[in-house]
Amino acid sequence: MARTVLICDDALFMRSMLADILKGAGFEVVGEAQTGAEAVKRYTELRPDLVTMDIVMPDMGGIDAVRAIMKEYPQARILMCSAMGQQALVIEAIQAGARDFVVKPFQPSRVLEAVQRVLG
Amino acid sequence: MDLRRFLDLYVSESQEHVRLLHRSLLALESDATAIDEAFRAAHTLKGLSAAMGYRAVADLGHVLEDTLASIRGGRLKPDSALIDVMLTQADELEAAIAVAVAGPLSSDNLEPATPDSSSSARVAMPTSSSYPPGTTNVCLVRLRPDAPIKSARAMLIMRALQDRPGVIGSEPAAFDDDDFSGDFRIFLTGEADAAAIEASIMRAGDVESVDFVEPARATAPLPAPVTAAPAPAARQMRVDATRLDAIADGIAELSVLYGRMPTTGLAQNVASMVDRLGVVLGLLQLDVLALQMVPVREAFERLPRVVRDAARQAGKDVELVIEGDDVELDRAILEEIGEPLVHLLRNAVDHGIESSERRAAAGKPARGRIRVSAERERSSVRILLQDDGGGVNAARVIEKARSAGLLPHDSPDTISADELFRLLSHAGFSMAAEVTALSGRGVGMDVVVSRIRALGGAIEMHTTPGSGTMFSMRLPITLALAQALRVRIAGEDYAIPLTHVSEAVLLDGRVDGERADSVMLRDEKIPLVYMRHMLNAGGAGKEQAAVIAEIGDRRAALAVDELVGREHILVKGFDPVTGMLPFFSGVTLLADGRPALVLDPLSVI
Repeated sequence: MARTVLICDDALFMRSMLADILKGAGFEVVGEAQTGAEAVKRYTELRPDLVTMDIVMPDMGGIDAVRAIMKEYPQARILMCSAMGQQALVIEAIQAGARDFVVKPFQPSRVLEAVQRVLG
Repeated sequence: MDLRRFLDLYVSESQEHVRLLHRSLLALESDATAIDEAFRAAHTLKGLSAAMGYRAVADLGHVLEDTLASIRGGRLKPDSALIDVMLTQADELEAAIAVAVAGPLSSDNLEPATPDSSSSARVAMPTSSSYPPGTTNVCLVRLRPDAPIKSARAMLIMRALQDRPGVIGSEPAAFDDDDFSGDFRIFLTGEADAAAIEASIMRAGDVESVDFVEPARATAPLPAPVTAAPAPAARQMRVDATRLDAIADGIAELSVLYGRMPTTGLAQNVASMVDRLGVVLGLLQLDVLALQMVPVREAFERLPRVVRDAARQAGKDVELVIEGDDVELDRAILEEIGEPLVHLLRNAVDHGIESSERRAAAGKPARGRIRVSAERERSSVRILLQDDGGGVNAARVIEKARSAGLLPHDSPDTISADELFRLLSHAGFSMAAEVTALSGRGVGMDVVVSRIRALGGAIEMHTTPGSGTMFSMRLPITLALAQALRVRIAGEDYAIPLTHVSEAVLLDGRVDGERADSVMLRDEKIPLVYMRHMLNAGGAGKEQAAVIAEIGDRRAALAVDELVGREHILVKGFDPVTGMLPFFSGVTLLADGRPALVLDPLSVI
């Protein structure tokens, strides 16, 4: 059975790109979210194997969403997606419970390696 | 790219260019063409250090390069003040290099040395060299240079390791610093499973290399390579000095072992093999000795700077002339004479050379002149240090000695040169009216003398009031294997190095009376010293022989029970035990493998 993933980013373009990369590796994209609040809600509904979370999103940012999810589901596997140079935020996200991070622009190989680490 | 491979090369090349930089900066004061060399040296140091990731060093090099470029372009004048500043910057650069190579590779978290650090700064340990107690191993992790957000990556690595046994800390402890370079260290105890830890780290992604070292190695300075004696077009090699030492020690032991081999009662074929062994060994010894010989230039190089700084501090005008600096000497000896030379030089500037006014009044050129020269004699090297100053005022010395209790108040008003020197080199004797910052504390000359004697050398002083003073040092060419007389005193064997021995004689018939105090040697009466008594060996001896030792114009006959023979010995220095008699300069293994104390004949005269 394919592993499931929830993709959270406020930009359609980024969501499509990630979906493309992950589907190519055999993942099933079971849901998408555009805000932090939506991310938390969809996680509860879907309980996916993997979550990709953008840091900067309206209506609850990615880091707060991570905190909220980790609070209810400490086993959640979350991969943080960040723009270049957001060191402090990435560190905060890791401290909040994200398992690993990738930096935009995405390189498919790096994304998949990071996904492996998150799930492994 | 693994920079570790290039570290040795960086160390030797940077040292060479630092030396070049110092030399050309000093030369710049009188020779404008030295600017090109100085600029190139600074430029190269900047490039080398940047390539190694030593940003702090590269920055210092860049500053110097800029200044030198301005001088070259005619925008700045290289006056004494500017050269002073650049010399200090060169010192800082040198210290920064030492710190950089002692730390983890491409560590950017080191401070450039402060302007107050002394110019002879030895390798300074980086502040990060303290380990949590219990550390037995240090894991050096290097992230890939192109890894994004390295601090987050390092945090992930540490998080993955946090539940593993034996992981007790990291340096830096936290990774939220913007300047994190991507290199960090993890402290481990014996419980840690290195293989599992390495696998875990590598799995974390963006890791370039993982290495495990013992704490001492993780920050210990690397051994400084030494260039082999320069031959014009010959193949040259940079050699690790500690390896040369190991080889020399091994060969010395071989010769001792060879010396123990029986020479009689051997089968014919064995006897000829032993002979052949001796020949090959002898040649090998000569080869190794030659490798350890280094031109005295290496010890003389720092002297111009010493004179310059001392002269500035004393407000005097002095120039230093160096001659014969390609005479070669055993590296081990060379390393020891540096400080004595520096002290003698400072003395010469401080006390020897007079102020410009006094010199003018005496009809001398305003600029004082000190000459340091080296020349090779048959089996020794003579180093002369001569100044054209005012000479030593014997009357003042006598006066001082009397008031210090070193001479009786009714002592004669004239003394011999030897006696004068002995007084001056007495511990605690100081000629300065006030103690100056440089010298005059009275602790210098006695140390100079004992250092030189410990090497098996000798030092004399000749002075002419009004004209100047000359120190003459004679040093053995090599310490490695000295020739010594083996003598027996009260049943124990001792070695006496031949450097200060002129001959040995049998005592029969030369001694008048049972407990004579002198011996006749070719019409000359020489004071007799009973070694048995000097060594508190007790008992009445049957002294059959005497070893004639000499220094300067003084001689003494050291009476011993018997002369056992002549040997090559390797003298090893030692830390004397308190209360020990001051007559020994070291220990050695005799040919039959037994240890023996090495007597210093000069201590007895």
